[in-house]
Amino acid sequence: MGVRRRIGAVGAVVGLVVLPCAAPAQAQSPITLRVAITQQVDSLNPFLSITQAGTEVGRLMYDYLTAYSQADQRPVEGVADEWESSDDKLTWTFHVPDGKKWSDGKPVTAKDVAFTYNLMMRDPVAATANGSFTAEFDSVTATDDRTVVIRTKAPQATMLALDIPIVPEHVWSAVQNIGEYQNEAVPVVGSGPFVLTEYRANEFIRLTANKDYWRGAPKYDELVFTYYKTVDAAAQALSRGEVDLVNRMGPAQFDSLKGKEGITLNKANGRRFNEIVINPGAATKTGEPIGDGHPALKDVVVRRAIAQAIDLDEIIEKVNGGYAQRGTGLIPPVFPDFHLDKPNPERVYDPAAANKALDDTGYRRNAEGTRVSPEGRELELRLIGHASRAYDEQTGEFVKRFLADIGIVVDVQIVSDNQLNESTTAGTFDLAFSGWGTNPDPESILSLHTCAQRPNADGKGGTTDTFFCDAEYDALYAQQKAEFDLAKRSEIVKRMQQRFYDQVPSVVLGYDNALEAYRSDKFAGFPLQPEKGGVIMAQNGVWGYYGATPTDNAGRSSSGGSTALVIGGGAGALVVLVGGAWLVSRRRGASAGERE
Amino acid sequence: MTAIVWERRRAAAWATWREFASHRGGLVGLLGLGAIALLALLAPLLTDQTGLDVTRAPGRPFEPPSGEFWLGTDNTGRSVLLLTWWGTRVSLVVGLSATVLSVLIGTLVGVAAAHFGGWTSALLMRFTDFFLVLPSLVLAIALSTVLPRGLGTIVLAIGATSWPATARLVRAQTLAVEARPFIERAKALGGGHAHVIGKHVLPAVLPLVFVNTTLTVAGAIIAESTLSFLGLGDPTQISWGSMLHAANVHGAVSQRAWWFLVPPGLGVVLVVLAFTMCGRALETVLNPRLKGER
Repeated sequence: MGVRRRIGAVGAVVGLVVLPCAAPAQAQSPITLRVAITQQVDSLNPFLSITQAGTEVGRLMYDYLTAYSQADQRPVEGVADEWESSDDKLTWTFHVPDGKKWSDGKPVTAKDVAFTYNLMMRDPVAATANGSFTAEFDSVTATDDRTVVIRTKAPQATMLALDIPIVPEHVWSAVQNIGEYQNEAVPVVGSGPFVLTEYRANEFIRLTANKDYWRGAPKYDELVFTYYKTVDAAAQALSRGEVDLVNRMGPAQFDSLKGKEGITLNKANGRRFNEIVINPGAATKTGEPIGDGHPALKDVVVRRAIAQAIDLDEIIEKVNGGYAQRGTGLIPPVFPDFHLDKPNPERVYDPAAANKALDDTGYRRNAEGTRVSPEGRELELRLIGHASRAYDEQTGEFVKRFLADIGIVVDVQIVSDNQLNESTTAGTFDLAFSGWGTNPDPESILSLHTCAQRPNADGKGGTTDTFFCDAEYDALYAQQKAEFDLAKRSEIVKRMQQRFYDQVPSVVLGYDNALEAYRSDKFAGFPLQPEKGGVIMAQNGVWGYYGATPTDNAGRSSSGGSTALVIGGGAGALVVLVGGAWLVSRRRGASAGERE
Repeated sequence: MTAIVWERRRAAAWATWREFASHRGGLVGLLGLGAIALLALLAPLLTDQTGLDVTRAPGRPFEPPSGEFWLGTDNTGRSVLLLTWWGTRVSLVVGLSATVLSVLIGTLVGVAAAHFGGWTSALLMRFTDFFLVLPSLVLAIALSTVLPRGLGTIVLAIGATSWPATARLVRAQTLAVEARPFIERAKALGGGHAHVIGKHVLPAVLPLVFVNTTLTVAGAIIAESTLSFLGLGDPTQISWGSMLHAANVHGAVSQRAWWFLVPPGLGVVLVVLAFTMCGRALETVLNPRLKGER
């Protein structure tokens, strides 16, 4: 799944009335699960695809070396069924069992695994999407058809979470140029529960059930993803029965489906968080200050006061429509092993205490009520947000009011994603909206806040989120990286988040709920991951699609016909046309009359 | 002497007004425009601005129209009536400033091209043609993406893309005026460029420019709404376009909240209609080509 993927990539929502693309023609009567997606598939080549939708299709087509269990996301059998590591954690041996087959009938062997990983280590283009997993690999060898041995340069905690689709050597060894290869020659040979059989960019993706899948055949015949330009259109399509499953809805769409017959809603714990980064003094790897962040923000007292003055509950209530959980640490509650449930000490919303702390530290108010730092600079902060995210726009107004209460002036600037990224990498900001998706393994999200992730002098070479650089945090980071005992590692990871929470390089505002809905008259149920409060789509795996159980109604074609949206769009167009024609005719008549 | 001139001018203005007033459409447009402008100006006196603050929204999200909220509420619980009312201000200000900018550039280029002729004309006209064939919406989108977000950017983006038509029009009219004998006479008597343009050409061209301005405003207001709807405007400012944008991204369609979409749309239609009606009436009065023989 996506590592280090900024949420900025939410597709631009353009156009008020959008008609769904032509649905593919129905075959005789295969049972089909129709899924609406709003995000585009960037590539079907699993070595290149980085979008959520693209990696999800990749997971359906190809098994990974290991999988994440449906119930609690622990490592379970994927391509390999057994594994062991040496005592120094540098050598890992995986066993690939007999009997698994590619969709063209050839057996899946350890050689395919070795081929895939070696390709990524050899060819930088093949490492585009998932290169971080193999970066520390020393060698990968298939000692026989059933055994693959991986040696790493340093102990690596993600060895059972290698999110790399294993591709068939007998197909991919013939590919000359990985970067150019589209992987669209259907049916695409794969090992997953579904086989890609038809693809039209930005229209639909059709996958057929792999009846020989080793875990057992899916309970239905076809899985079709259909594109919708907006979530509104997708939600409408679900309520009319044109699709069976929708996700990524906003509160408004979700609420509009409430109580509709034949539709079941799933409010799941999301894997992403929203935050406001507070520039704690941006600097390069070598400690050279860069950017023009407000110097007062280097003071942890000011950062804490800001965090204390923001009412997270009100933002969740008003902006998220209640569909979010209160923010604490960097890892959302969906991963209970690592989530910081109760920070200690915990910050509560208390503007009076924040005011007092600032008063006590010498940040006095001037005549206009704005606080001035001891150095004589007014606390006027820029807050930049993504133009592509409605959340930023709205939350910005709240933050502006909250901070006004403690004498800090906020100028909310909503800019394009590119401008925002430029500002945050160059350190030319005071406050900035950000947000990240997280993985079951906390490694990547934790690494974002280490000193080493700060950029070099050219502003490149690091993916720091906050320019945070803290010796204690870094020490704990190194410690958890080499800790293989889950309980101990979880303890360290929580201490890291507590440190982060205390130092406040960013305020984690909340964890968005993933809002999904499905036609329960067509499909009886979908396995959630994790079992409690989990999601159907965008899982760490494809349990939701794979385990979907159709009802007796599922085979029948839906009652289609012209839809409210089409009528709405048509009516709109008609009004415009008639109005325009009327104006034109009137104008003609008038001129003719006036000209005599 | 001066008194006679003023007398004549007043008479001419009165005649123009009488003729304008005889066009019922124009009069209706003017009245509507006056009413809208008055409402926009008086908004801070007649309404409470705190109702625009999302953090102090009085209602629940997506409330349908009721006695308390005549046009319902938006996704944050603010009154749509209040938003539409205040949106008038931004839409009008942006529409008018963009028009002034566009007409200013257009007139300058048009007059200069016609008056100086030769190389200057060829150069300026090719420049105009270049902008004329560029799809103006795409150019405006590009401009407002690159420049910092704000009302100034929107004004600039619209102004810089909508002037070529004015330039062409003004150039044609200037050519027609300059072909008349009195211009030749002024030149023969030693009138320089400034004198000819300032005293003779501009006064003759201005009525046309004025008409053109009225018609351009309508286009500029639509352009502002379009850009804001696409999310390129200043989201911290409430305009009709940004309301439509908000309605779209916050799921007003799914909520069937027609009251969030219709008022700003109607606002745009009404203002544009008013400007167009005024402009057309004015055009028939001032444009000699559309005037009947007497």
